[in-house]
Amino acid sequence: MADSFHRHSTASPQDADAVSSHDGAGPFHVNITNATPQTNLPLRQAFRQPICAPEPKIHDITEKFLKASNALEVGQLVKDDYFTLFESIGAIEILDPKMDSGFLKPGETLEDDYDTSRSLLPEEIIGIMDQLLCYEMAWHTGYPLSQTLFTSVYIDKLLWPEPKTLEQSQFFPNGESAHGPSAQSLLQVLRAYCLALIKGCDYVILKITSRDYFEEEDFCTQTYNRVLFVSTPMDVFLRELDAAVEVMEDTNFEIKDALRSAIISRLKFRQDFLRALDLDHPLEHMSSSWSPVLSGITTIKATHQLGQSVPGAFSTKMQRRLASTVPPRPIVEFDFKDALDLLEHICVDCEEATRFIDLPQDPLEYQSFLWTFASRLPAPLVYSRSYLSTLMFHPEILNTAVSLPLADVKTLVFPASLVLDPINWTLPPPRNPLLPKPPRLQLAMLIDEFVDRSGQPYLDLWVALSQNRCRLRRMLSHVITAWDLLQADASLVDTDLASAASELSITDQILEFSLSTWVYHKKLWMIEKVILLGFEQDIYLPDEFSGMHLFLSLIVTRRRELLTRIQTHHRTRHTQLLRERKLRLANEVAEAAPYLDSLAAEATGTAALSLALARFYMIAAYCGLLPVPKRPFSTESLRYELRMKPFLAVQPPEVPPFEDFKAHTQPYGPYTSPDPGFAADLRNERSELWAEVDGNVKAAKDAFTELKRLGAGAAKSQGVEKAWGKEVQNLLASCVALGVASAGVKDAVRKAGDAGDPKGLDIRAEIPDSGAKKRYAEGWIVVKIVKEA
Amino acid sequence: MAESGEGTKPAADLAAAGLQYVQYEGAKEEQYLPSIRQLISKDLSEPYSIYVYRYFLYQWGDLCFMALDNDSNLIGVIISKLEPHRSGTYRGYIAMLAVQESHRGKGIASKLVSMAIDAMAARDADEIVLETEITNTASLKLYERLGFLRSKKLHRYYLNGNAAYRLILYLKEGTALKRPEGGHAHDMGMDMPDMQRMDEAGMIS
Repeated sequence: MADSFHRHSTASPQDADAVSSHDGAGPFHVNITNATPQTNLPLRQAFRQPICAPEPKIHDITEKFLKASNALEVGQLVKDDYFTLFESIGAIEILDPKMDSGFLKPGETLEDDYDTSRSLLPEEIIGIMDQLLCYEMAWHTGYPLSQTLFTSVYIDKLLWPEPKTLEQSQFFPNGESAHGPSAQSLLQVLRAYCLALIKGCDYVILKITSRDYFEEEDFCTQTYNRVLFVSTPMDVFLRELDAAVEVMEDTNFEIKDALRSAIISRLKFRQDFLRALDLDHPLEHMSSSWSPVLSGITTIKATHQLGQSVPGAFSTKMQRRLASTVPPRPIVEFDFKDALDLLEHICVDCEEATRFIDLPQDPLEYQSFLWTFASRLPAPLVYSRSYLSTLMFHPEILNTAVSLPLADVKTLVFPASLVLDPINWTLPPPRNPLLPKPPRLQLAMLIDEFVDRSGQPYLDLWVALSQNRCRLRRMLSHVITAWDLLQADASLVDTDLASAASELSITDQILEFSLSTWVYHKKLWMIEKVILLGFEQDIYLPDEFSGMHLFLSLIVTRRRELLTRIQTHHRTRHTQLLRERKLRLANEVAEAAPYLDSLAAEATGTAALSLALARFYMIAAYCGLLPVPKRPFSTESLRYELRMKPFLAVQPPEVPPFEDFKAHTQPYGPYTSPDPGFAADLRNERSELWAEVDGNVKAAKDAFTELKRLGAGAAKSQGVEKAWGKEVQNLLASCVALGVASAGVKDAVRKAGDAGDPKGLDIRAEIPDSGAKKRYAEGWIVVKIVKEA
Repeated sequence: MAESGEGTKPAADLAAAGLQYVQYEGAKEEQYLPSIRQLISKDLSEPYSIYVYRYFLYQWGDLCFMALDNDSNLIGVIISKLEPHRSGTYRGYIAMLAVQESHRGKGIASKLVSMAIDAMAARDADEIVLETEITNTASLKLYERLGFLRSKKLHRYYLNGNAAYRLILYLKEGTALKRPEGGHAHDMGMDMPDMQRMDEAGMIS
C-alpha cells in the first residue's frame, strides 16, 4: 500500500549528528521546510504557529483576486515554485471522508459517548488490560500511539485534559463513580494499571530517543501533546499498583478467586515491567530485572481466556481528539498471542543485552557482541536495540583507561611494541620548543593524534551496528567511506612513526604501515559485511550471485593477505625477542597469535567459500538453472556500475574494471549461450571448473574447522560463545550444503551423458528464502538442487 | 499476475486487444484525471489529494502515459517525474503505476513502464528509481525483467509496516560517479529532493 506517502521527514535530533546523516537517500535526513531537524512534524503538516505572532492585519484582496483570475482560462493550473511535493502530500480535500478529519457521514457522531464511569465486570477489566497490552506491543513494532494505545477511551480520560497532578488523572470527576463503591474499586484497579502503562511508555520513548533511531521507520514517538507523566517518579506508580493489589486482595471484595488472581498478576506484571523499563535502574540490577517480567507473561497467557473484551473501550474516533489533522486511521489489530510473543522477545533481547555489562573489557569483544546481537533472529526491536546502546555508551563502561580504538590497534598490530610503551607518554618535551622532541615522545604524540582522529569513525561503526538490519547495511557503506579517509590520514601518521622509529633504530620492530594496515583490515571487514548483508536482504538477483561472490572473495583475499603480513611480522619479532632473551615481551607477542590465527582461519574460509559459490553459480547460470532476465533497457556494464557504486570512491581496494569482472564471471561467453568449451568442462569432473568449486569447498571446510578449534576466546567472542559456535557451525553446514548441491549438478550432468544439453538438465535450483530459517546462514545463499519431477 | 508472457507480447497483440497508448496532456485533465484517481486510489488505504496528481501531471504530464480501450476508458496509467537529484544525477522517478484488474497479465504495465523509460531516456535522464513493496513479487519481476536492480531494502517503509526495495535502472555510464554541482547536496533549493516515501500506487498483480 502506498500510505507511507503521508509520512514526513521527521529526523530525530540524534540523526543530525549520526553518521547516518550522510545517507544520501535516506528520507529521514531531508529536512524539507525547516532548518532545524528537531521539529516533530505531525503526520500531515499542521499549520505552524509562529511563537510571537504579530497582530494580524486584514487586507481585502477580492478585487485583486478577481482581476488576476480573469487572466486565466477556466481549469488552467498555476503552480508557484514553492508548491512542493511535500506540500501536495500534506494537502487535504475538505468533505472527502478519507481526508477531512471533521467530516461526518449522516448520523455519525464526532465522538463516542462511552461512559468511563460505568461499572465493569472483573472479566472486562482483564479484557481491557489484555487489549491494552496488545496495543502497547503494536506501538513497539512501530505503529503510532494514535492507532494503538491512544484509541483507548480510558487512557484518553487519564491524559486529557492534561492533569496537573496525578490525582486529577481520573476516569470520572473526583474519582467517584455514580455506580457505587464496588464499581469504583475495580475502576481504580484499572486506573492504576493504565497509569503504570502510560509511565512505561514515557520511559520507552525516553530510552529510544536518547539513542540513534529513525522516526516512523523504527518507531513513532509522537504523543500528540499528551504528557505521559514525564515528571512523576516511578515510585508513585508502583504505589498506585500496590494500592490496587490491596483492593484486589481484600477478602471483603467479592470476586471469583481465579479472576482475583488474574487481575493481581496483571498488576504485578505492570510493576515488574515498569521497574525493568526504569531509566535509572542501577547497572548491577539490570540483568535480573527481566526474568520477573518473563514469568509474569506466563501467568497472563494462562489466564487470558478469563477476560471479556469491551469493544466500546477503544475507538478510532479518539484520534480526532489528538492534535493531528489526519482523519481517523484504522486501529492496528494485534493478536494477543503475537503481542505476548513480542513482549517475550523484548524481554529476552533486553536480558541478553545486559550481558554486555559483564563482557571482558576489550573493544573486540564488544564488537563481537554488537554484531551478534544485531544478527539475532527475530531481529531485536528498536527498544531492545536502544537498551543495548544505552549500556554500550554507559559512562561506567566506556570510560576505560585505554581508548577503545587503541586497544583494538594494539591487539592487531602493536602487541608488545615499543610504540605503545607507557614510558613514551612520560617523557618531558624539551624546554626549548625549537629543539626536536625526543623520538619516543614523538611516538606517543603521534599515537595520541591517531587515537583522537579515529575516535569518531570507530564509534560510527558501533552506532551502525545498533541500527535495524536494513539501515545497518546502508550505514556501513557510509562508515566505510569514513574509514577510507581515516586510512589516508593513518598512512601519514605511519610515515611519521617510521621516521621516529628510524631515529631510534627500531624500524625492524615495527610493522610497516601499522596504523593504516589496521584501518584497512577493519574497512575490508566492513565491506565483506555489506556484501553479506546484501545477500541476506535479497538485494542481489540470482544471476548476480556469481559476480557478487567473486567480488566478496576478492575483498576477503585482500584481508587475508594483510593478515599474513601481520602474522609474518609478529613471528619474526617473536623469534627476535626470544633471541634477545626478552621473554616477557616475547610472551606478549605470542599471546597475540591466537587472535590473528582465528582471523586468518575465518578469512581463509570466507574467501574459499565465496569463491566456491562464485564458481558454482557461474555453472548454474550457464546451465540455465538461474533465471536471467532479458533486461531490454539495461546493459551489463551499467548494472556493474550500479552494483559497485558504494565502493567506487573507496581505495584501496579498487573495484576491478568491468572487463576483468566480465572475463572472470563469464569465461565461456554469455550465460544464455556459452561456447562449447563449457559443456566439455562441465562433463569433465576433473576440470579446473569443478576443481574450483570442490577444492574451495574443502578449503573452506578445513579453515572453518580450524576456526572452531581455535575457539570463541581466540576470536574475541568469549561473551557470545554460544552464538559464535553456532555461527561457525552454520558456515560449515553451508559448505556441506554447497558440496551436496555441486554433487547434484554433477550427477545430473552424468545422467544426461555426453550428448546431453547443459541447459536441459533434469534438475532445478531452489533458492532458500531469507529470514525463514531456510538458510544455514542468512548471508550465505546455497541453493538446493532438486530433481525435476 | 502479470507474470506469464509479460514483456514478450508483440505490439500487435496489444493493438489486437484494442488498446491505445496515449501521452497525458494538461488540457485533458477534466477528461482523464477523475479516472486516473479512481484507478490508482483503488489500491490505497488513504487517497492522495488531487494536488498530488496535479503536482506530477502539471510538471511532467509528458511522462504520464495512459492505456485506453476503444471507448477511451482508462485501463492503465503510469505517472513519473524527472528532475535533478541532490546526488547530482538527473533522476527519473516512477511514482504511480496501475492497471485495471481485469486487464492484468497482458503486458500493459510493462508497456507503460517501457514508454516512461523511453521518454525519460530521450530527455537525457541518468537513472530511474522507484520503490516497491518487497512482497509485491509481480511488480518486482516486471521491473527486474526490464533491467532494474534492487539497491536498498527499506525497513518499515510503508505505514502498514511492510518493507520496500528501492529499484534503480542506470541509463548512462558514469552515473554512479556523479556528484552534486557546487558541493553540498542539501542546499539544492526547497523542493523535496525526492519522493522517498512515494509508492507506486498501482499494484499490478
